[in-house]
Amino acid sequence: MNDDEVITAVREQRDKVHSHTPVDQIISRGRTVRARRRIPGAVTALAVVAAAGTALALGLAGVLGAAPASSTDTIRTMAFTLVKHANGTATLTINRNVLFEPGTLQSALARDGIRAMVTVGRFCSSDPAPAGWTKVMSFPGSPADPGPVRSVVISPAAMPAGTELSFGNFQRANSVAQTSVALIYTRSYTCTSTAPTAPPPNGVMIG
Amino acid sequence: MRYVHVGTQQLDFSEFYRESKDACLFAVLVSVGDRDVAQDLVDEAFARAWASWRSVSRHPAPAAWVVRAALNASISRWRKRRREVSLPEPGTIADLAAGQEIPDSPLDPQIMAALTRLPARQREVVTMRLLLDLDTSRTAEVLGISPSAVKAHLARAIATLRSGLIPERQQEKSS
Repeated sequence: MNDDEVITAVREQRDKVHSHTPVDQIISRGRTVRARRRIPGAVTALAVVAAAGTALALGLAGVLGAAPASSTDTIRTMAFTLVKHANGTATLTINRNVLFEPGTLQSALARDGIRAMVTVGRFCSSDPAPAGWTKVMSFPGSPADPGPVRSVVISPAAMPAGTELSFGNFQRANSVAQTSVALIYTRSYTCTSTAPTAPPPNGVMIG
Repeated sequence: MRYVHVGTQQLDFSEFYRESKDACLFAVLVSVGDRDVAQDLVDEAFARAWASWRSVSRHPAPAAWVVRAALNASISRWRKRRREVSLPEPGTIADLAAGQEIPDSPLDPQIMAALTRLPARQREVVTMRLLLDLDTSRTAEVLGISPSAVKAHLARAIATLRSGLIPERQQEKSS
């Protein structure tokens, strides 16, 4: 068997295989791919527009102020204050009397290297939960029975790979906002629209 | 003008798809060893090519782009599934399937086994040169290696294929 016979044998095999997928089906699948690519951009654009609109509306109403006051290390809004420290941690204090705009807090956290998913009227958690949340969040009181706290210190360096913080903000009947925070797996979590009545087992409740 | 542009884009892609789909499918099949998996990977890769056709059509070898996209997706799927269940590496999957006769398949299991047993780089060169019919310089450009390296890998691959096929073919003749 010489080289040409080997090449011919291989090409004969190739010529026996046929794809029967119609081109229309490929194009239809391609449209889905395109749409999937556009979603992050569209969501970002919507978030920017929504955040700007909300800030403007609330600012005019005297609730939020014209814009988040931000120095190099501090982001301050009527709803929350986020202070970044030299050691890489950040202290988040939430005003329980103001329901926050999720995109604004999520962007502020991202600025400090904190991966987070911020939701209003919904809280997401993982079961089982990732280990090590007590290294990620510290606060006054006992980690075993944290109770509602006013502020929490977050250490993004302690967040295990593949995890993020879930912030679920709920408006309670007494007009007080309450925020549940938990460490979750980025790719494995479930969400509920029922406001937690107690701090999550792997997190804390602010408010 | 927009409609004319879109129409032209679809016509070019359709032509490319019609001409290269079978070779791309076979090229991916040689690496992943499973017809259904290869079909899905190639369909998805062509869909991605359509979604980015403006840039893919300017690639030196769009069919090579499709095969590479399909094999990259195969590796990504393997990494994702590895977290859930214990899986052998993609190359090992091909090897395991290689010796097995595919039911109702017109393919020669000995040639398929010989192809799947090739080292990854040799198989890439065989894919570009023999399956996608790229010339040496284009293959070198796509794989990012020198033309002389392409020739060397191809010569070794053909020698390996020949040595893998000869005993079995001779055995067939003598029996």
